[in-house]
Amino acid sequence: MKSRYEIAKSVFVDSVDIDDYIDLNASVTAYQQLRHSMDKPLKMILLFGKPGTGKSILLNRIQEKLKDQKEIHYFDTPAINEKEFFHKLFKILTQKDLPSNTEVNFSALIDFCKNLRGKREIIILLDEAQMYGPEMMEKIRLLSDSRAIKFVVSLHKTDDEDLIAKEHFQSRIWEVIELKNATMEDQTAYIHKKLLKKNLFEIANSIKEKNMKRIHKYTKGNYRECNKLLFTIFEICEFYDKNEPSKVNYAKMSDKIIEMSALKLGYINV
Amino acid sequence: MYDIKHLEDEWKKYRKKKLKPWAIGILSFILLSLFTVLFLMNVKIDMGFLKTYFDVSKETLPFEGKINGIQKKKDQNSVLINSALDRLETNNVTNRVVNQPLNTLVEMDELQVKDLAQAKTKMHLEIIESTSVKAYADVEKRFLESHDIDDALFLARSYYKKGAYEKSEHWALETNKLDEESEESLFIFVKSKAKQGRKNEAVAILTVYIKESNSQEGKKLLYQIQNDTL
Repeated sequence: MKSRYEIAKSVFVDSVDIDDYIDLNASVTAYQQLRHSMDKPLKMILLFGKPGTGKSILLNRIQEKLKDQKEIHYFDTPAINEKEFFHKLFKILTQKDLPSNTEVNFSALIDFCKNLRGKREIIILLDEAQMYGPEMMEKIRLLSDSRAIKFVVSLHKTDDEDLIAKEHFQSRIWEVIELKNATMEDQTAYIHKKLLKKNLFEIANSIKEKNMKRIHKYTKGNYRECNKLLFTIFEICEFYDKNEPSKVNYAKMSDKIIEMSALKLGYINV
Repeated sequence: MYDIKHLEDEWKKYRKKKLKPWAIGILSFILLSLFTVLFLMNVKIDMGFLKTYFDVSKETLPFEGKINGIQKKKDQNSVLINSALDRLETNNVTNRVVNQPLNTLVEMDELQVKDLAQAKTKMHLEIIESTSVKAYADVEKRFLESHDIDDALFLARSYYKKGAYEKSEHWALETNKLDEESEESLFIFVKSKAKQGRKNEAVAILTVYIKESNSQEGKKLLYQIQNDTL
């Protein structure tokens, strides 16, 4: 018989799946802010925050919502090289594949974009943009200057990447949206909503406020860390459920299991 | 699947580490509270009394040298003190002082001396744990059994300090019965008389004593009594 914790565990597998999107106060605000910025005559929009704050899922969400209304494209992983990036862009702009053994002429591409101004408004969502080099970022900026393509650039927030942001983005007319880690309330809602989406009401109810505080303390409200911790918690619960059921309190999540998971993931040490 | 057994062991270690500061903190707090309560209770009970006791003890220090000096002239001085006390007209017990053999303490056997030492230790303990009035009564009671010179001198000093001059006179005399060379007991005796308005008696006794012993402290005291600056 399948343990109830097995399903709960699968809920917290870390993935950018639009079906897993959970509406929270902070994420709804970020979504509306981004949506509003995209309607402005901005050339580039910077979306940044620490890893695991929900940047990718927000870009996915916005693409999913606007794909029938706008010409919107999501570049999930950065292109291996410049050539691949422009091949991809060429296909979006011309809706044709680039003939083999040919390369995109950047100047010609800029001219092509200028001709599109007023006729089409293309939105490119660039995830993990910190992986693009400075030269590439400069070309992206020139493309956005044509005003035919609007870029939403998602960046990890680290000290070095802040520097990149300052050098390349802040001098231009850009909008900056920062995503932060979840508050205790948001994280509690996130965990509950995820479990309830799979009808795991009893398990959701077994995680009490005290447990939530502990989870928030370990993960600092980071969604990715939260997923990792909850996955590990339910994996341990699953083991006990199958092998030593006396060690599982089905009505209340035990601090012991949360602490064991935190030890396993290195949030705490002996 | 993880090695759950290992993880459980790790968790037990973590739990111990986590609880250790709490356990130490709680234990320290309990011990500190206990010591504080005990300390405060003790201070409250004996502070006033100890102050009196130690103040009196300090006062005796200047006389100790004099007593030792007198000890060297033992035979001569004992006669002098006895003759001074002979002049007391109002106190019937003075005759007993004259007849009292010298060096009563020296004549005690070893067992008695040992008991005396125990009694001294006991006195301090009892004083600390009692109220001051009860402590005086206890020392008086114990004196009746032990005839300890320290107890008698302590009572003489303390009563004089408290202004109970009749009692201090009595205990000074009791002290002198046990140690005829004790200049301090003679001085307390004389001062108590002077304080009770029997200045002539006090001056007469002290004059005889000074004549025989040439005591500087005695002369100083005589001057104070005569000039009412005691």
